[in-house]
Amino acid sequence: MLRQPLTRAIALSSPSRVAPLGARRYADAVPAQPEKVEVFIDDKPVYVPPGTTVLQAAAQVGVEIPRFCYHERLAVAGNCRMCLVEVEKSPKPVAACAMPVMKGMRVKTDSDLTKKAREGVMEFLLVNHPLDCPICDQGGECDLQDQSMAFGSDKSRFTDIHFSGKRAVEDKDVGPLIKTIMTRCIHCTRCIRFASEVAGVDDFGTTGRGSDMQVGTYVEKMFLSELSGNIIDLCPVGALTSKPYSFAARPWETRRIDSVDVLDPLGSNIVVTTRTNEVLRILPRTNEEINEEWLSDKSRFACDGLKRQRLVTPMLADSRGNLTPVEWEDAIVAAARAIQDCPPDKLLAVAGDLADAESLVALKDLVNRLGSENVYTERDFPLEGSGTDLRSSYLLNTKIANVEDADFVLLIGTNVRFEAPLLNARIRKAFIHKETDVAVIGPKIDLTYDYLHVGDSASVVKDLATGSSSHEVLKRLDAAKRPIVILGADQLKTQEGSALLAYTQELALRLQDKLQDKNWKVLNVLQRSAGAVAALDLGYRPGVATALAAQPRVVFLLGADGGVVTREQLPKDAFVIYQGHHGDVGASIADVVFAGAAYTEKRATYVNAEGRAQQTLPAVSPPGRARDDWKIIRALSEVVGERLPYNNLDEVRDRLGQISPALVSYGEVQDNNYFAQARALSKSLQKPVSGTLDVQLKQLEDFFMTDPISRASPTMAKCVQAVIKQKSSVY
Amino acid sequence: MLKVIARTANLAKTPLSRSLPAFSTCGARLSSSADPTSRREAPKLENETVLTLPEEAHQKNALESNITVPTKVDLTPVSGVPEEHIKTRRVRIYQPAKNAMQSGTNNIHHWEMEFDTRQRWENPLMGWTSTGDPLSNMKVQFSSPDEAIEHCEKNGWTWYLDVPKTEKPLKPKSYGINFSWNRRTRVSTK
Repeated sequence: MLRQPLTRAIALSSPSRVAPLGARRYADAVPAQPEKVEVFIDDKPVYVPPGTTVLQAAAQVGVEIPRFCYHERLAVAGNCRMCLVEVEKSPKPVAACAMPVMKGMRVKTDSDLTKKAREGVMEFLLVNHPLDCPICDQGGECDLQDQSMAFGSDKSRFTDIHFSGKRAVEDKDVGPLIKTIMTRCIHCTRCIRFASEVAGVDDFGTTGRGSDMQVGTYVEKMFLSELSGNIIDLCPVGALTSKPYSFAARPWETRRIDSVDVLDPLGSNIVVTTRTNEVLRILPRTNEEINEEWLSDKSRFACDGLKRQRLVTPMLADSRGNLTPVEWEDAIVAAARAIQDCPPDKLLAVAGDLADAESLVALKDLVNRLGSENVYTERDFPLEGSGTDLRSSYLLNTKIANVEDADFVLLIGTNVRFEAPLLNARIRKAFIHKETDVAVIGPKIDLTYDYLHVGDSASVVKDLATGSSSHEVLKRLDAAKRPIVILGADQLKTQEGSALLAYTQELALRLQDKLQDKNWKVLNVLQRSAGAVAALDLGYRPGVATALAAQPRVVFLLGADGGVVTREQLPKDAFVIYQGHHGDVGASIADVVFAGAAYTEKRATYVNAEGRAQQTLPAVSPPGRARDDWKIIRALSEVVGERLPYNNLDEVRDRLGQISPALVSYGEVQDNNYFAQARALSKSLQKPVSGTLDVQLKQLEDFFMTDPISRASPTMAKCVQAVIKQKSSVY
Repeated sequence: MLKVIARTANLAKTPLSRSLPAFSTCGARLSSSADPTSRREAPKLENETVLTLPEEAHQKNALESNITVPTKVDLTPVSGVPEEHIKTRRVRIYQPAKNAMQSGTNNIHHWEMEFDTRQRWENPLMGWTSTGDPLSNMKVQFSSPDEAIEHCEKNGWTWYLDVPKTEKPLKPKSYGINFSWNRRTRVSTK
């Protein structure tokens, strides 16, 4: 052990630990800091702003006060009383989580009185808490368990001489993700506060009083939220546990590998828990600039899809067209032969949603070396104007964390709630705590907060951009100090996409030019997939439809499971190579299948919607004979005769860095520029638009299964069923 | 030590010493540090420093000081780690993430190094996890990333630093805000 109490406190404030704060540059609107108050925590002086709670002040000097109900991202409840501490000259112990500091306050977090108070609280909590730790899923990572060891009494005064038993509560059914054992509940109300504040689903609450108090939904009802899994993490005891993970493992027998999620475009940071080469569960990992400490249900629970429908061996279509397992050599030779026989202009590569940057660059280099420029992404994006040449026109330029600082949010044709749930949580946070207003152009959807519906036709965007709209939103936008405009990338696949993007750019830039804060970025395009930004950065072209019209002879699908490429569009003798990890849409039309690795099985770079490169780490090894994706393409290139010049991951990443340094600056996000140039280039594209804006994911049931991994997940299927069933319920 | 005490005692007792103008506390080995004329006050000296014999002081200095090795230390030839595990491994230096399931943070205030994950499998004998990777369980804790980097460089491992983004501004929380009238924070449930 290298830790001493003092080094800990120093380390907390040392600059080496502090990540560069790219996110909080816009906090200058906060009025000048009032004078700080000096308080003493265990005789250690600390200066904090007035109004800070004792618990927060203690955290500043590295003193952690035990708590159950207090959570730093939720409102203060003050009902568990575990954080009682002694304050000098105060007759009673005070609840540190709710008590604001006063000048010169002397707090004793380790005194006899404090210890006695904690012991008493612990005793009361345990009177009605069942002693079922050996069969409880929270065992080993339970706050109550740990704190009763650290602060509880060493003996029990609980003698049930009448055998009346402890308090028992009926379990609730809140859906297929959360298992409830309500007898274990200690009424901290964290789940209630999370549901009403963060998730925006005001279904949880308490009924009854005293020992009859119960936490629940009153009527039996599913917790209809895309963030519901977070209440499992929040629960300090085992009252709410994960249903798919129930009785699966203990925390001390698993390994935790820090990684990055790819099932939505935000790239939330996750911890992958594994045992015996199997992913058991996925938990969020704190990243203040992306996901805070939340995680969406799809990212958290779709991991059982990694064990199903997997491509575990390379396959080759036999004479009757059935895919049969073959050796790697046979599959690669068959693919190489087809590629060699194909004229360069008839070779087409299509990248899908979950493709990582390494395999994308390897594939592009290979195709380019063969003399073809046909590398496409499945997702569409207008190529007119500046197209994808300027990074600012396809990224979330405001950045996720800064969305909190916005004072007006305009959503154009996007259902943020299901396309990027944690971005929606940020908007909701701003809506609640910072009086941010939201307006929506598009279909009427439930975003969990009130918004101003401006209409669903694309011409509304045009009117706003040209300033000819009479709607009040225009005035609000003009008056806003930090407005943001978020355009859903899905809207860009229609014929009017280029005009819509041009108008959005015009609108955003017109607002941005007037702002006092010159660093504030208004324009945002929300991509739909984790692989989209990396592909565009590397020079993949959007819009595969034109390439398909040219009748390609060989099509290389790199995880392209969106169903954009179908057999009907291809000539009869076309040869389809599919590389990916799931037997989904793409593999079903393939002649050769290369078994690749999923995101938990490889060290791979993904670029999130704001342009932040992050890497996943291998938690388990790929199943069967599946291999790392870039290695497969590297092997293929050797057989084709166009050997790619990289032999290990570092060399591939050097190549990535050559193309764009942003792709290898892990964890960091750069500011985007050239807005004015993009706007100037798109001036000519501002043609009249007449379409209506529609979003793909409208209801909660649409959210769960959107990619090969979640489509293979039985848990996600159960969620869809449960949501549909809940819809038919009277509640 | 006794010798020293005896010597000083004798010094004080001899009539000769009384005739000396003053008993200077400033030994020859200390006078070189600064020009005494520029000082306002006499330097404060520890009794022990004054009373130690020169040879003892020399020995003490030698024991307390560090030996500076002029070149970069490379332990790879003598560490006995197979070359494969030096050249092909990559070390991640990071701060352990807080367990999302718990609120305690006592075990995350240090830096750790870990190697890339290699294949693990379920051992059919007991159902436990097996691995062929001798470094899979090697997690070393450090108090700062610099120490971890130094350790990795000494051992010849490729390392990279993963700095967690967990820093956020302090926002005072308030219990009273629960009762303020605000249509946006108002909830139907408690």
